[in-house]
Amino acid sequence: MFAAESKISRSEKAVARRLEEGEGGVILHLESGAYHGVNEVGLVIWELLETEPTVQQLIENLRDRIDDPPPHLEDDVVSFLTQVRERDLIVVE
Amino acid sequence: MQEESTLGTCFGFAVRSSLPFRFLRGGVGETIDISASSSGEDAPEGELLVKWRPTAERPFEVRLFRTEPGHRVWIPDSGWYGVDTDARTMTVPDDADEVRREERLWGIPAILFLLARGDLPLHAAAVEVDGQAVVLAAPGTFGKTTLAAAFLSAGYRLLSEDLTCLRLGEEPQVVPGPAMLRVRRDVAEQIEIGNVHRLAESEHRVHFAVDAALRGDCAPLPLRAIVLLRIADDGYRIEAASSAAAVRDLWNLAGTLPTDRDRTHSFTAATELVRSVSVWNLHRPLRYAELPNTVEFLVEHV
Repeated sequence: MFAAESKISRSEKAVARRLEEGEGGVILHLESGAYHGVNEVGLVIWELLETEPTVQQLIENLRDRIDDPPPHLEDDVVSFLTQVRERDLIVVE
Repeated sequence: MQEESTLGTCFGFAVRSSLPFRFLRGGVGETIDISASSSGEDAPEGELLVKWRPTAERPFEVRLFRTEPGHRVWIPDSGWYGVDTDARTMTVPDDADEVRREERLWGIPAILFLLARGDLPLHAAAVEVDGQAVVLAAPGTFGKTTLAAAFLSAGYRLLSEDLTCLRLGEEPQVVPGPAMLRVRRDVAEQIEIGNVHRLAESEHRVHFAVDAALRGDCAPLPLRAIVLLRIADDGYRIEAASSAAAVRDLWNLAGTLPTDRDRTHSFTAATELVRSVSVWNLHRPLRYAELPNTVEFLVEHV
C-alpha cells in the first residue's frame, strides 16, 4: 500500500514512450529489461510523476487532468503504482 | 604488398580488403577496411562491457571489450575481432576458418557498426517481396531461417538470414546484409534449398552462400511489414500485433549494448517502428511440407 503522503518519483532507469494515439504507451527499465504497457490514463500518471508528487497530490492532479474521472480513481492510481513499483520503475519515499 | 580493393558490400558498407569474402553483394557504400591480425586468447586491456550467453544458434559465450581505440570482440570458435567505428576499420583473426570467420564478422562485430550509424540491428531474417522488405522475426520460437530459405528457394531475394539492419525514419528501410544462409543439418536434409551453393558443414549447421544472380546490392529497401512468427496446429491465421506487445518483442530481438544510451536508442527505435510499420502475428503450421504454402500465404496477406 501507499501512504497518502508518500512521495513518488520515476526511476532514473525508466524510459517511457507513447504509442499510437489511443493505444497508451510502454515503460522500460533499462537495466532489468522489465517492461510495462500502460493505457492512456497510465501515460498521464507517468507524465504527472515528473514533479515527484505525493500520492494524494497525484490523485488530485490526475482528477484535474482527465474528463469525467472514474469513481474508483484512487484505486486505479494505487493499482498502477503497485504494478510499476513491482518492476522498479518508480521510487517511493 | 598486395593492393587492397573494394570487393563488394554488406549492410551498406563497401568492404576494402585483401582477404577473401564470400557473402558480399554488389553496389557501393561507405568504405570500411578489413584486415587480418594474429589472434591469441589473451584478453585485451580494456573494460569488459558484456558477455553474451550461449544460445542455440551460437553455443558459446561472446565477450565484448571497450578498448582504445574502439572495441574488441572475442568469439571462441574464431578469435578476436577488432572494431573501430571512427576509423572505419575492422580486424579479423588471421588463423580462423575463412567461412566461419566471415559469418561471425557479420554478427556482433557488425552490430557495433550498425549502432554507430544509428540503425537498429534486429535478430531476424528479411526477404524482398515486390521491391519491399518483409522482416521475419521469431520471438520465443524458431523457424525464421527455414522460412527465409523457403522464400529464397521460391526465387525471392534474401536480404538477411539472422541479423537485419533497420534504418529508421518516416519511412523505415532495410539495408541488405550478408548473402549467406545457415540452416540446421536436419533442416538441410528435409528441404531442398534453391539459389544457393553449399560452402561448408559443421557439427550442427550447413553453410550456404546465395547465388550471385539473387544477391543484388545493398541499396536500402522500404520496410513493408514485420512478421512475428507463431506456431499453430490448425492452418493459417494472421492478425495485427498489439502495439505494446510488438514493442516488447522487437525490443527483445534488438541488438544493443548494455549502456543506458544504447538501450534507450533501441527502445525508442522499437516504438517508432511500431508506429510507422505494420507488425503482424502469423500463426502457421511448423511443418516442412507447409513451407511453400507459408510463403504464398505471406506474400498474399502482408
